[in-house]
Amino acid sequence: MAAKVAWRSLAILIGGLFVYAGVVKVIDPVAFARDIDNYKILPWQPSVWLAFYLPWLEILSGLALITRVLFRGAVFIVTGLMIVFVVTSIVAKARGLDVSCGCFGHASQYLNFTWHLVLDVLLLGGLLLLWKRPARAP
Amino acid sequence: MKALFRQSAVLVALALLPAAVEALYLRDKVPWNARVAESDFVDVETARSWGANVTWIDARPADEFERGHIPGAVSLNEDGWNEGLAKFLGNEWLPEKKIVVYCSAATCNLAEDVARRLRKEAKLPNEIRILKGGWEAWQQK
Repeated sequence: MAAKVAWRSLAILIGGLFVYAGVVKVIDPVAFARDIDNYKILPWQPSVWLAFYLPWLEILSGLALITRVLFRGAVFIVTGLMIVFVVTSIVAKARGLDVSCGCFGHASQYLNFTWHLVLDVLLLGGLLLLWKRPARAP
Repeated sequence: MKALFRQSAVLVALALLPAAVEALYLRDKVPWNARVAESDFVDVETARSWGANVTWIDARPADEFERGHIPGAVSLNEDGWNEGLAKFLGNEWLPEKKIVVYCSAATCNLAEDVARRLRKEAKLPNEIRILKGGWEAWQQK
């Protein structure tokens, strides 16, 4: 029982984080496009398209984690997003780019690279735990 | 496994709809073609030709400013923005002068960020431009 509660709490926590991360970016997609562009990986136009699309994908995936509707698909997408983000952050750092990820809107600028990585590793750890449990289990 | 991909595909497709609606709603407010409009830039020759009618703002970190900067430039960057802006407005700002902001090179974004904040947050009425090529271009000319 305690394990089930912990598992559901974890899903709700991670889901809530992604809903929050999506909402703060939906409010100002141009600012998020600039954050994507700062990584110097994509041209400007695809950065703008992604800036409109990714926040909604985060919101819907977060809601799916909270409600358990399309749960496994959401865990898959969120894990993928996290892996892409960690890799691009490390690559950006290796290229000497001092970028704010913009993951949590303006709150992101107060987190340095190390803290971002710590947060990401924790989130990935949490997602691995969600993978282990079947969606209908609790 | 099949369900996993099906669920993912549903989420990926569903997200397209609100994204498209938002993009349509904001279509006139988004710089679709370039991060900064070409008209927001000024090249070194033109900015120099403005002579004393320019306030130069160095958006690079303070240590880079200390190592060298455009004569007469003011250091104003996003580290300690509020204090720096208050100091600039109190001591250096003149409403009739053009403002040219620069950072290290064409690839940096600091000048763009400072120029945007001067327009949107400080709401300065001045003509505010970004120096094309930054400090690197200035040194080469």
